[in-house]
Amino acid sequence: MSTRNQMAGHDVTSAEGRSSSEANRSGGPERWLVVVAMFVALAALPWLTTETRLISLAITTGINVIALYGLAILFGQAGILSVGHAALMGIGAYAAAILARDFGLGFWAALPICAFLSAATAGLLGFPALRVSGHHFVILTFAFGQLLTIVLTNGGEFTGRATGLDIGPIETTFGLDFNSLAGMYLLTLAFVAISMAAAHFIDISAYGRTLRSIRENPQLAASVGIDVRFHKIGVFMVSGLFAGVSGVVLAYYFRHISPSLFGAFPSVYLAMMVMLGGSRLLFGPLGGAIIVSFLPEILDLDPVEARIAYGAILVGVILILPGGVIAGIGIILRKLVAMARRIRGLRFASIESERNAEGG
Amino acid sequence: MEVFIQQILNSLSIASVIILIAVGITLIFGLTGIINFAHGELLMIGGITTWVFVHNGFSFLIALAAAIVVVGLIGFLLERGIFRFTLDNPMNGFIVSLGLIVVLQHVVVLLFDPNQKAIPRPLTTVWDVGDIRVAATRIMVIAVTAIVVALTFYVIARTRYGRALRASVADRETAYLMGIPVRRYVSAVFVVGSMLAGLGGAMLIALFPITPFTGSAIVIKGFAVALIGGLGNPGGAVVAGVVLGLVEGFSAGYGFSEWTDAYSFALMILILLVRPHGLLGGTEGPRVNS
Repeated sequence: MSTRNQMAGHDVTSAEGRSSSEANRSGGPERWLVVVAMFVALAALPWLTTETRLISLAITTGINVIALYGLAILFGQAGILSVGHAALMGIGAYAAAILARDFGLGFWAALPICAFLSAATAGLLGFPALRVSGHHFVILTFAFGQLLTIVLTNGGEFTGRATGLDIGPIETTFGLDFNSLAGMYLLTLAFVAISMAAAHFIDISAYGRTLRSIRENPQLAASVGIDVRFHKIGVFMVSGLFAGVSGVVLAYYFRHISPSLFGAFPSVYLAMMVMLGGSRLLFGPLGGAIIVSFLPEILDLDPVEARIAYGAILVGVILILPGGVIAGIGIILRKLVAMARRIRGLRFASIESERNAEGG
Repeated sequence: MEVFIQQILNSLSIASVIILIAVGITLIFGLTGIINFAHGELLMIGGITTWVFVHNGFSFLIALAAAIVVVGLIGFLLERGIFRFTLDNPMNGFIVSLGLIVVLQHVVVLLFDPNQKAIPRPLTTVWDVGDIRVAATRIMVIAVTAIVVALTFYVIARTRYGRALRASVADRETAYLMGIPVRRYVSAVFVVGSMLAGLGGAMLIALFPITPFTGSAIVIKGFAVALIGGLGNPGGAVVAGVVLGLVEGFSAGYGFSEWTDAYSFALMILILLVRPHGLLGGTEGPRVNS
């Protein structure tokens, strides 16, 4: 009987010992059903509420989430942290506005071009920055955010100076009108689903394993024939692709963009969302963005108080739950399950011992 | 020629503030590997503290001392309360500092307001040397910075504390085994770095008005300077600070003022392409064995 208890205890510890991302990766078909059900439920939101405020907040959250999945691949998989992602979004957004103004390109035509431009910018930035350590990279990405703001402000008529640029509505495609709030919401949700799926497939692919090997031990990765520098710049470009798409959607949702949207601070907030949610989990970036966007609504905080709260929560999360809030919730749930199992195990054990007593 | 000398003076006074912050950044990085983005907020708090004291009728000198003490205390509390738990993983220290930027900025906004704050010039004298107008405040800023930086260097290069510090930077574990109280040195470096930032803040508000958001604009120049000189190398920070200050000053003086803030970034990229470890060579931060 006592051995049995020990075995149960052993099982529990091994389940806890399994890394969260591993648990994440071994999802069965039920897991997919849960994801699909969640997206269906989210898609129904515009018909469940008439509060436009809630829906527009959900749209801006979703737009951030697109970029956040790129950031999560960069930091969670390859272990490279960027605090310049809003600037990469800005490249996409400004490219979309300029392509629409000077070449008459619509949303769908501009989307791949702008995403590519963001990725190319990321590559150019990564080229000198990823030569040395991660510290230099972090500082350079932050500086890049500041620089972009200066360039956009000083760019004259071409970038619209400090007031920024206007952009037309998304053209009607296949009879779908994206200019209603509900249409924009569904479009954003679709992009969120695509970026989430892309992040998942990178996570489970050989490419994801390559990136993780670089994160864990670059020297070892290089010694087995992985071109570390190529992949570092490559993954930054991949995450730039996400940022570019997010920027284009942002431009077409706001219909007006200005340099201040893409400075250093929006980037810091993006990094914060990823850290809060946890970068290695599939639901981490989504959770982090939802926490940051909806926390002030729920707690009824003014913007200044809300920012103090974000900062304090971020500090607390990093010190207490380095994997992020979502991973933290996962750990707590698993502990509860383990505790429930142990209690059940004890009950079985006591029943058994009663039986033994009866038998003997 | 007059414009030239005028510009040198102006540039050096701005460079002084950047050097004060860069030396703190690079010392903290060298010993702990933490890139403390919130260092600029310490500078800002130093400036705001000076403003509070001057506006309550104290002299600039007392306000300056108060700024140094207040910011030094904040640095101590941050190290003891937060950063010491991230010593094993400097990347976490960096992320925490991102959170701190936001907290410190908005606490200041909450306590005061987001508007610009200025104090009257502490020294109103203006010397006329030939055609050059020399504001005594600028000379004071340059002189104070030169003295403080020289003192810091003397301590690092010549005293036993400095030797222990350099030993800890070179190899934290071995230094600890040799009986150097490394943890205490980490606290000390945070406090000294913060006090330099506090002094920098007082100097900055003597030159220009500041807002609660000034810190993050200055800190990026501090990082640029630290990186150009070589992260972890205080001497490099001083050299790079002077270089950047001169470049910015001349560009502002000769008609490209709207691009001033972009030079630090351009220089950074250029230096990283040519000399990846900075002009004078930096460190990679401490080795983390855990």
